[in-house]
Amino acid sequence: MKHLLYRVRQLLSLAVLCCVSALANADAIKLGLSVDQLFESRVGVLNAIKSEAQKQGFEIIEVVADGDPQAQNSQIQSLVTQKVDAILVCAVDQNTIERALLGAKRKGIPIVAFDRALPDSRAVDAFVGPDSITDGYLAGQYTAQQLAQIDGNIQVLELLGALNDQNGIDRSKGFNDAIAELPNVEVIAMPTDWDSARALAATQNAFQANPDIKAVFAATDTHIPSVETVLYDIAKLHPVGSDQHVVVTGVNGSNDGYQATLRGNADGIVVMDLHTTGVTAVQLASALINGESVELNNVIPGNFYTTSNIEANKANIWGAQ
Amino acid sequence: MSLKHRLSAVNWLPIAAATLVACILLSLLSSSFMSYTNLQSVLVQASVTAIMAIGMTFIIVTAGIDISVGAILFFTSSLFAKLMMDTGSYALAFACALLCATVLGALNGVLIIKYKITPLITTLATYTMYRGMAIHLTGAQNIPVPREMGFLGNGKLLSIPVPILLLAVVLAVGLYLFNATRFGLYARAIGNSAQSARESNLPVNKVTVFAYALGGITTGIAALILLARVGGLQSGIGIGIEFTVIAAVVLGGTKLSGGDGTIVGSVIGAIFLVLIDNGLNLMNASPYVYDIVKGSVLLIAVVIDKVSVTRQQQHLLNQRAARIRATG
Repeated sequence: MKHLLYRVRQLLSLAVLCCVSALANADAIKLGLSVDQLFESRVGVLNAIKSEAQKQGFEIIEVVADGDPQAQNSQIQSLVTQKVDAILVCAVDQNTIERALLGAKRKGIPIVAFDRALPDSRAVDAFVGPDSITDGYLAGQYTAQQLAQIDGNIQVLELLGALNDQNGIDRSKGFNDAIAELPNVEVIAMPTDWDSARALAATQNAFQANPDIKAVFAATDTHIPSVETVLYDIAKLHPVGSDQHVVVTGVNGSNDGYQATLRGNADGIVVMDLHTTGVTAVQLASALINGESVELNNVIPGNFYTTSNIEANKANIWGAQ
Repeated sequence: MSLKHRLSAVNWLPIAAATLVACILLSLLSSSFMSYTNLQSVLVQASVTAIMAIGMTFIIVTAGIDISVGAILFFTSSLFAKLMMDTGSYALAFACALLCATVLGALNGVLIIKYKITPLITTLATYTMYRGMAIHLTGAQNIPVPREMGFLGNGKLLSIPVPILLLAVVLAVGLYLFNATRFGLYARAIGNSAQSARESNLPVNKVTVFAYALGGITTGIAALILLARVGGLQSGIGIGIEFTVIAAVVLGGTKLSGGDGTIVGSVIGAIFLVLIDNGLNLMNASPYVYDIVKGSVLLIAVVIDKVSVTRQQQHLLNQRAARIRATG
């Protein structure tokens, strides 16, 4: 009998422990993190999100769509079913996930879009991400300054990102706005779909057809090694400061861009502030959960570092860490 | 048989003709097109797809398909880059990368044979698995490869770019296996009818697994060239390349239903696809027209191919009907 009572007491203690643990978990704020796909800069933002969430005591449920908009749609619905307190989303495609986001909105779940703006969405409460127009503009402004002394027609090669990616479109717009300040510039735009092999082929072909290209702008600096390869092959890889130097700029902040600028083959890169983007995303979600009002658009412009100051700013370049 | 009908039996002839027409048109539209340097660039740019297409031809000819080749390419590149970073040993990195690519390809074949699941579904599942393995291996980080590795992608040997030489070697081996070995003959027989092949005691399982393993090793070779060309690993590498490879094979004259194929046609198909991009680049075309032009050209090529195949089949039917009438 004594033994039986002991067993019952043990079982009751276990049950109480389970309930307390469940209640404790139920109290923790759960953030649903819906990611388009994993690549270097995205992982940088995710690390900042996770670190800030941990600091604030939030639990994270992370789902990755691997570039599939339908999968992301289902994953967002699953986050709603799991009763998350807010959703942080980086969309593969706005139109496909809008219905799922509206479903979350109807359940009173705040939504923060990060890195990729969803300008036409009726569900998103706040956006935080790069100021891609300014980022492109900074690279364009520098390029225009370098080419200002050249007379006659100047050809500039622009390696575009994906044509349906808002960041790629905005970087291109910013770059073209700045370069348009020079009246004698012709921009030769080539699509790359963020693919370095396509960037390499496009650069090769562009220099075949237009051997006098004076500058290259890469929508992502991960394409700069491809540009270096082509310039080396055609004996045009001269360091910054040389008369025959081809001006090379890019946006992102990857190690590829950092190393190329350090070597003097690239002039400079615009570095995105991934840490601030991640931290702000969590802070916005936290404020929305607490019923506070927040800014709809929170853009974080990048910083342009050139060969003269990139080494001194290594600590600010996410790809160089 | 008349010359006309003998020519119509050469299944890579339509794509060769289309490539020739494209070359003539592009040389008229762009003065840079016909230069030696540009034609060499086209071949170098086509080498990765062409090498993969040679392997894919063996798979498609057995009435199979492998849509995991892009993921195998990503995993192989990741493994190579990671091993180079951690050990600095070229021998180890090359051996492990090529071995892994072969094993991953063969695994597809084993799964298809053992569980009798359709190749499309099997390789769709392994596509996701292999990509996941690659991302797990590298943590989705970009990894640079040593600069001397660039020789494989951008170097020259006897004044010929290394990727073109590698393509020539893979093409020679592919032609030999396809046309001069029992393996090639059995692969076509399996594609025509796996049931009949089994009933004839052909080693269907072995040949199928070997075909997928060939697809794996050619993808491994292509992965190393691509890695060398772009100077490092990026997590987007290989995304969507499977469709370009399959398009090259089908454009080249290999039937998706299996049984009939051509190695030369697949290589020309890969070159044809690169020509479109090259031509648009040389003409400084608007970036928004690329997909329209590529889609339209692909559609026209597929329609021409379909019409020629239908005519060929009609001709065979007419011949058979004439024989029956003559004997009757």
